[in-house]
Amino acid sequence: MLLRRMYQFGLIYFSGIAFLFLVKYSLGLSDYVIPGPGATWQIAGQVALRYARDVSNTLAVAVVGQFVSLFFAFIVGICGRQATWFGSLIKVAAYNVQAYPIVAIAPILFILLGDGFFTRLLIAAMICYFPLLLSILGIMSEPVIDIEHFYRQTQRMRWQLEVKIRAFENLHKLTTVISGSATLAMAGTIVAEFIAANAGIGYSIRIALYQSDLGKILVALFIIGITVSLYQGLLERIGYVIKAIWGRSQ
Amino acid sequence: MALSCKHINFYYPGTDSLIFKDLSLDIVNPGLHAIFGPSGVGKTSLARLICKELTPSKGLIRTPDINALLYAYNMERLPDWSSIDRHLERITPEHNIARKQALVKHFGLLPVLNQRFGQLSLGQQNRINLARYLVQDFDMLIMDECLANVDEKTREHILLTIKDMFPQLFFVYISHNVAEVAKFCSRIWVLRTPGHHPQTCCIRGRDFKNGQTLDRQAFEKTMLEIMNAS
Repeated sequence: MLLRRMYQFGLIYFSGIAFLFLVKYSLGLSDYVIPGPGATWQIAGQVALRYARDVSNTLAVAVVGQFVSLFFAFIVGICGRQATWFGSLIKVAAYNVQAYPIVAIAPILFILLGDGFFTRLLIAAMICYFPLLLSILGIMSEPVIDIEHFYRQTQRMRWQLEVKIRAFENLHKLTTVISGSATLAMAGTIVAEFIAANAGIGYSIRIALYQSDLGKILVALFIIGITVSLYQGLLERIGYVIKAIWGRSQ
Repeated sequence: MALSCKHINFYYPGTDSLIFKDLSLDIVNPGLHAIFGPSGVGKTSLARLICKELTPSKGLIRTPDINALLYAYNMERLPDWSSIDRHLERITPEHNIARKQALVKHFGLLPVLNQRFGQLSLGQQNRINLARYLVQDFDMLIMDECLANVDEKTREHILLTIKDMFPQLFFVYISHNVAEVAKFCSRIWVLRTPGHHPQTCCIRGRDFKNGQTLDRQAFEKTMLEIMNAS
């Protein structure tokens, strides 16, 4: 899983780089617009270590933000799974609120809360919260009739059992959704850093952008891609292990 | 009176074609009764009406002498997070443990108790599913093609075991197998398409039990009656 994700990222990244170089040489663009392979390699040597630290910083915020949003998505998803007026209200509210681009609120948060850790965390959590919530609501609202029927007939159905059945039966889907939301959390954190933070890889990209240094941006993209691929692969692996342990226990 | 359906009309919301028109049937005595009919005639819909999962558009369904009514069907599954044994242990009331052990033995489930539901054949899954309903406290059990994937010999053994173990309870057996319902059921309610009136026709089955000899001639006559009625 880990290797497959990294292969996939490498393929896309190096195809993109090859296309850039093709544009550079076919249009005769200067190194100032698109640096050549040698210059890019040299820049990588200068900034890779610093950028790796920045990406770790960003990833730490993204991971915490993702788990916060995961926690709340499960709470709201479990409450909103029922076909009651409360469940319907939560579903309607979730579908309508998610239609608003959360990233547009980011500047307000920076004005109100400053550009520290908490603001980045909040934006990361908000950006990956709604897609997570919609998926979890969908999974939790969908009855697994062939399994649940017996427990309903014999009056044994409790909300905990209902959630357990639906989570167990959709564990693969949940793992995919959670691993997919890692990209969103990372993107949310980078966007937050890009807008106003004073740390993280988004902040470094913003500086590189002001310097019009495409080489630095390409190096940053490579480290971000590799890190997110590793993290997603790790989440998929954890999902696989949980399923194996859950299936083996008891 | 265990079950009384009077002048039932039913159609699924959003459709205007009637599934049942003025359908009536009643079950008075305990034992194994059958609902028989071609595919799509509404056997499962009737079962779901009886156990109040659906509501008739018109008419009345009553179960005056039934406190606990259960409905089992053949597509049901057990979650794969525990072994069969663990599932049965959890859902069997304390006072029915001996019953569970007898059912496990008679249904041939001993070799699969340590396995997960997903690892079993369809026939074994059918037997496990039926067994977990039979260990509950109930007065009437509707078995909707519950043994559809079980081989004929085992199916006969299971039906005879149920009749032996629960002579005082009511069973409604939904099946497509005319020989089986003719042989084992005491009353067979043949369900006909809405164009027919009446929509149900009651045939007396052979109600075969362990230790009896089957009257071949009467059995064949019952089968013919069922076929003619459907």
